[in-house]
Amino acid sequence: MNHDPWIWIGAFLTLMIFSFLYKDNPFYKFAEHLFVGVANGYYIVFYWQNALMPNLFEPLGAGNLVYLVPLLLGLMYFARFIPKIGWLVRIPIGFMIGWGAGISIPAYFQAFVLKQLQGTIITPQSFENTIDGVWAVIILIGVICTLVYFYFSKEHKGILKPVSRLGIMFIMIGFGASFGYTVMARVSLLIGRIQFLLGPWLGLID
Amino acid sequence: MPQTQRLFDFVESIPPDDKVVMISFDYTPQTMPECHPMAIALLKHCFARNIPVLGLSFDPQAPGLAVEAFETVVNELNRKASNYDDSLFYGKDYVYLGWKSGFTAAVLDMGESIAGVFPRDYFGHPVDSLPLMQKTKNYKDVAIAIVLSASAYPEYWVLYPQSRYGVKIGAGLTAVMAPKYYPFLQTGQFSGMMSGMKGAAEYEHLIVEKGYTKKLGRAETGMNSQSIVHLLIITIIILGNIGFFFSRRDRKQS
Repeated sequence: MNHDPWIWIGAFLTLMIFSFLYKDNPFYKFAEHLFVGVANGYYIVFYWQNALMPNLFEPLGAGNLVYLVPLLLGLMYFARFIPKIGWLVRIPIGFMIGWGAGISIPAYFQAFVLKQLQGTIITPQSFENTIDGVWAVIILIGVICTLVYFYFSKEHKGILKPVSRLGIMFIMIGFGASFGYTVMARVSLLIGRIQFLLGPWLGLID
Repeated sequence: MPQTQRLFDFVESIPPDDKVVMISFDYTPQTMPECHPMAIALLKHCFARNIPVLGLSFDPQAPGLAVEAFETVVNELNRKASNYDDSLFYGKDYVYLGWKSGFTAAVLDMGESIAGVFPRDYFGHPVDSLPLMQKTKNYKDVAIAIVLSASAYPEYWVLYPQSRYGVKIGAGLTAVMAPKYYPFLQTGQFSGMMSGMKGAAEYEHLIVEKGYTKKLGRAETGMNSQSIVHLLIITIIILGNIGFFFSRRDRKQS
């Protein structure tokens, strides 16, 4: 059994959180509130030390006055709290939207639209490996059928009916995969906690 | 296995003592059981092949976990090292740059100069003074950036550094995120991917199979419990469906 007090604190807090499985109780509430408080404290100190100090206050202290521009832009966000000068908040928001749009729109098109379209299109190279070729055809059918399912400008009758039915099947397979992976993720987290309790705390496993 | 094998094969193809493997540690304590074994296995693989590693983080909760991963692997390998040349040294074999705010600007600026974005490493050393950083100036000196993450960071690595600088991207993700990222594998935007504890266990298995380490890690042992739970859930789903079938039949008959 471990003699490190931090391991004991971690183990007891884990058990307090697990006690919610029985019912809501003061031990669970204590651990929950402690977590929120510690997390807030951590973030405030972390951002002060690692973001505001090195990126703003230290350069300003060294006489680099150009850093007054981001300081002013940041302070303008707080203008929302004073109705008379509330309009000032539009300046940093406009700046952020302009910068964000300029940086992101071309990148989004390239990475998420063109590249994904390229991955869906079948070319002779897709069949260099038979299995890859079969998957390429399945992906193309899946994409088209799923898009048809979400096409609501025309009633799903005639050819649109079976195609959209096939589309919903692909969507269901996607949901199934997501559900399976989610179950696996949640079980993994439980296994991690049990490994902590049985390993570092009780020393029963390696 | 194929996506994990692809990542493993990519790291295998990197020549020793050449370009660095950049690992972005962006997971949190909540997701440690899934992502931490990935970090350990990746570090063991890189160090076994003499590939230098450059670590960094953009998630505020990650730096402590990254330092622990480096310490665990480096201490284990240095204990086994038979001589000075076999030992791992900070600054020469690996560097941890620490955390940086402003993800988008930072990852784009690293294409020009990594030292410009991280003038000092996590421990406060000037980055220019570290031997590894003298030969690692920007993404041209990075073989692959592997993002171990519990949030959307991998897609932003594809969006910005890959779109602009053509950086190869690998990913280690929590299982919840994995289905969303399969299309990136199919288009080749990801050079490989580890998904959840299963992906970490597969990577651990691959490095043991290749002889880089003898001991399997935490993920591989966790997967035994995982498999039993999966069997239990499948059984419950089947029983639930059988129960539903009979109750519906009884309703029809009555």
